[in-house]
Amino acid sequence: MQWASLLLFAVVVAALMAGFPVAFTLAGVSLAFATVMSMLALVGIGTFDASYLEAIPSRVFGTMTNETLVAVPLFVFMGFMLERAHIAEALLETMGQLFGRVRGGLALSVMVVGGLLAASTGIVGATVVTMGLLSLPTMLRRGYDPKVATGTLCAAGTLGQIIPPSIILVLLGDVLSSAYSQAQLRLGNYAPDTVSVGDLFAGALIPGLVLVALYMAYLVLKGVLEPESMPPMPPDTSGSALLPRLLKALVAPLALILAVLGSIIAGVATPTEAASFGALGAMVLAVLRGALSLQRLREVMHGTVKMSSMVFMILIGASVFSLVFRGLGGDDLVHELLTNVPGGLIGALIAVNLAMFLLGFIIDFIEIIYVVVPLTAPTLFTMGVDPVWLGVLLAMNLQTSFLTPPFGFALFYLRGVAPPEVKTSDIYRGVVPFVAIQLLMLVVLVVFPSLATWLPGRLYGH
Amino acid sequence: MAVTSPEAAGTAAPSDSGLVTPPGHPWVTKLESVADAAGALVAWLTVGMVLGTFAVAVLRYFLDIGATWLQEAVTWMHAMVFLGGASYALRHDEHVRVDVFYRHFSARSRAWVTMVGVVVLLWPFCGYLLAESWHYVAQSLRMGEGSREANGLPAVYVLKAVIPLSALLLSLQGLAMVLRAVALLRQPASASSAAAAGASRGTG
Repeated sequence: MQWASLLLFAVVVAALMAGFPVAFTLAGVSLAFATVMSMLALVGIGTFDASYLEAIPSRVFGTMTNETLVAVPLFVFMGFMLERAHIAEALLETMGQLFGRVRGGLALSVMVVGGLLAASTGIVGATVVTMGLLSLPTMLRRGYDPKVATGTLCAAGTLGQIIPPSIILVLLGDVLSSAYSQAQLRLGNYAPDTVSVGDLFAGALIPGLVLVALYMAYLVLKGVLEPESMPPMPPDTSGSALLPRLLKALVAPLALILAVLGSIIAGVATPTEAASFGALGAMVLAVLRGALSLQRLREVMHGTVKMSSMVFMILIGASVFSLVFRGLGGDDLVHELLTNVPGGLIGALIAVNLAMFLLGFIIDFIEIIYVVVPLTAPTLFTMGVDPVWLGVLLAMNLQTSFLTPPFGFALFYLRGVAPPEVKTSDIYRGVVPFVAIQLLMLVVLVVFPSLATWLPGRLYGH
Repeated sequence: MAVTSPEAAGTAAPSDSGLVTPPGHPWVTKLESVADAAGALVAWLTVGMVLGTFAVAVLRYFLDIGATWLQEAVTWMHAMVFLGGASYALRHDEHVRVDVFYRHFSARSRAWVTMVGVVVLLWPFCGYLLAESWHYVAQSLRMGEGSREANGLPAVYVLKAVIPLSALLLSLQGLAMVLRAVALLRQPASASSAAAAGASRGTG
């Protein structure tokens, strides 16, 4: 009856297309499917182990008491606070004034701020929209080629997936750690090594920075080859006052992000604790700027509630799906399929990454992480894949998917805030060089896995 | 592509469940105010989580005090935030949809998706969760279950009871959505196509 699990997957994907919220579609369709299969089993058609379903409340409770996941609302709080107190905005403006006079300086500032902002929020949509609203009009007014401007913004906006501390890495770390211990138990290792969110942060840091460096190198090269595509800004008239403004706008948020990241990587604080420093620090910065009214605080709190409910309800919906999928023997089927892919480990890796890349066109990263990764990662681990490397590879793969025309969702976000004179084809063509860089980076990561594994190994001695 | 919450995107969103309609039924505003009240209540817990986690870290590193109860209190707040806020997020259309097609739907089609979705997907899920977690909470209550950690919080059944409560709140918000959808579908088609224009602007 293992075919039934594939049918479940197909029905869920089809039902998702109707547009009802993903969390409840996952849970509702899976439960309906389980009911039908139980009835069929009663009349002797197939088997369905309904005892899997009884685990639902304890699964929900597991999510409620998972301390790693507490980091998610705290990082979201920090991100909303930095955004609503206009700290992010000030950062972008000041950087633009500082580097704008250099050829391509505006694009380079967007890239740097994207990396920083992303690191603090990890919310792709928010970063693309915020920066799109702030800097796209400026770039176009200064005579930037719309292709360069939009490509830069989309690419910078997706950096939040890969540059720690990002929410996607927290969620991936949570899923990978249970998949990894499951795989080791399957291999007969009853004292399994663990992989933590901290490991994943450390692992993603170098590849993330290399990626930013490649993006920037491309922009510099483009500026040299086609100077007219990114003209410099005229000199700033209020040049004398720039330094204090820069200190205020740049140094404080930068110090905050470095403190959060540093304390995790140095092992001084857990990601959850570091996230609380970040959230509190963002609040303090907002107070210092005189930007924290009760109204703003309320907006930040309410935004955090909505965002974390959204994330965790998907998690709950996905766990109902995976319980039913298991009850139908689907995990054995996936294991069997993956171990029989031609090309062994490489074949299996390509299959998983291709599936995730394609799914990234229609569903969001949270669903992919909680639906696809728990099913496929244990098999990859039993085949000997390094968990940190796999996590970084998957995160970067998803990031590429979100950037790839015509479905990548960073492109949709930017389309939403771009003025009508920017053509959709400009956005699509503008992002192509960045997608090429992404693919290059994926290949580099496969050829040199130590890019991801060296730092965590060095820090935590795995 | 699945577009995440309008809140995340920073765009103005219509403050309804994807439908631009008059409430239509006197219960709708009451039901929605229940979800809003739940959201407003748990919102303050987010600040509690920030301060609580910070305090736990400071106590551990500087005073070498392990405040297990405080750490557990943060986890409780976390659970209450996302479970208590689930109906609030639903009311404000913050749960991610796959909107490849939905984006292009008319207001009437969206109303159909909402109505069928709530009746066929949301309510059965909530009903199942309510029934199953009822036993789960009752069992915990009978055992007088407390934290597994020494110095942890007692009365774990209170925390577990948040699960059926959340399912109940979600069902009520689902009812508000169904009532809104029915009101829209009972309008003459010309009136609802005007609403469709509003709806597509809202999510564009």
